[in-house]
Amino acid sequence: MPHILLFTITIAAISTVVIAPAALALAAWSWRAGTKGLVVDAIAALPLVLPPTAVGFVMLEILSRRSPVGALLQRIGVEILFTPKAVVLACGVMSFPLMFTAFRVAIETSDRRYFDVARTLGASPVRAFLRVTLPLAWRGLLSGLLLAFCRALGEFGATILIAGNIPGRTQTLALAIYDRVQNGSDGEAAVLVLYVVLIAWVFVAISSVLIAQQRRRFAA
Amino acid sequence: MIEIDVRLPLAPFTLQVRSSLSANVTALVGRSGSGKTSLIESIAGLRRAQGRVAIDDVTLLDSDRGIDLPPERRSIGYVPQDAALFPHLRVAENIRFGGSDRERFDALVEALELAPLLDRVPASLSGGERQRVALARALMTQPRLLLLDEPLASIDQPLRERILLYLRRVRDLGIPMIYVTHQPFEALALSSWCVVLRDGRVAAEGASRVVLANPEVAGNIENVFEVSQPVHDPARGITRVTTSDGLALVLPYDQVAEARFPLVVRISADDIVVFGERPVLISSRNVFEGTVTSLTSNDGIVDLTISTPAPLSVRITRAAAEDLAIANGSRVWLALRSRAFRIVG
Repeated sequence: MPHILLFTITIAAISTVVIAPAALALAAWSWRAGTKGLVVDAIAALPLVLPPTAVGFVMLEILSRRSPVGALLQRIGVEILFTPKAVVLACGVMSFPLMFTAFRVAIETSDRRYFDVARTLGASPVRAFLRVTLPLAWRGLLSGLLLAFCRALGEFGATILIAGNIPGRTQTLALAIYDRVQNGSDGEAAVLVLYVVLIAWVFVAISSVLIAQQRRRFAA
Repeated sequence: MIEIDVRLPLAPFTLQVRSSLSANVTALVGRSGSGKTSLIESIAGLRRAQGRVAIDDVTLLDSDRGIDLPPERRSIGYVPQDAALFPHLRVAENIRFGGSDRERFDALVEALELAPLLDRVPASLSGGERQRVALARALMTQPRLLLLDEPLASIDQPLRERILLYLRRVRDLGIPMIYVTHQPFEALALSSWCVVLRDGRVAAEGASRVVLANPEVAGNIENVFEVSQPVHDPARGITRVTTSDGLALVLPYDQVAEARFPLVVRISADDIVVFGERPVLISSRNVFEGTVTSLTSNDGIVDLTISTPAPLSVRITRAAAEDLAIANGSRVWLALRSRAFRIVG
């Protein structure tokens, strides 16, 4: 059981770290693009509103050996489906919209004048963003990371489709709970549920505190 | 020379300004919502205006030729109304954001008296301190033009005095400035040229003393003087000063005892008494002989410009003007009460 716990936290952490730069870059681009960014916003939010199994099915089709992408990956010797990499991929794709949206809001609510003034002081848009906008939005960004991490912890639908439910290899807490319930081991399932509730609660609490602080700061 | 010819659609009107500015300090005057801030943001490159902006030989914006330099390549220092210091950086880091030249940093810290503030965070600074830090930060970039958006707005009297003192120091560095204000007397305190905006268009433009003597532009007409060389006489309650035009004035000692000179003071055109002959035994400490050089009459109000030799604006009733038989070229005496002077800063 400790193995499942450690594996799930590790997978969630890796997927969060992997998608963070992309989510940040896209949120920054969308912020600068104004109304043009709305299309990107809508596409990025898509996994949030689709059933996870539908997203998993699309990924399965893309990565299967029949598809050009899957065939290419096989040629270069990269195996993804039904490996821990698939778990990371499923978690990353499903938690991306939450992280992107949180980043977008955090950047949007940071005062744009600071960014503008930084540019009059000779800073390029990238430097002004990194040195001024980003540090001012850090609480919102951190809460985005935590939200995405928590979403990854509980990811189920897409994961089971592209990574399967292989104990000791791709089985996460969410899959293990499903497994124990199927086997009638309700006691073990309850312990796992307790674990996942505790972990998620700690991170959601941290996230809520940070968001509240950010809100107070801007209200002031 | 700053050449401006910009068009920018705003919600209530289209900002459309064409002007050539060669003065060291130009005041951009207008009521709230007249387009002042939008104009300077267009010059700074923060708003995407159409038209042309050039400083000396450098073109910053030329829509016809497809030139639109981004703000970071315009070398224009911009100090917004609330200073917009970066809240997460200490004062020294804020200033260094504009450049890393050590000598320039030291010189600005000394000139603007910032040494005690360097380790502080912006949230702990007063309004005047923030303005000084923002000024230093903008000057670190060695700008070819400095844009100041209402630097004295929401700053109380003692601090205004200090900020004006520092702004005069900056003016003396020779960096051209465009100074936004909705207070005509503030414009007179610093600028030699004035552009008046109304609904996004230039309503008047010219030498500040001339433009701001127009009651339609200025509302209340104010006489503004930069005074220096104070000689205090606390026992008699007066301080003798000299204006930049060479006029000797007497001010109340208690109001200027703690002031830093040069100081800008103002007196309303309504507060000056006109005599047809030299007054004797009068309480006013400032009595000048002068000649009426211009006279406009409107709705029972007569506005006079009187050369003393420094030009003074005076507003009297038509009845008074008729009783004194005032006309262009008339010789008159003016009495300015010391206590009618207000300190601008």
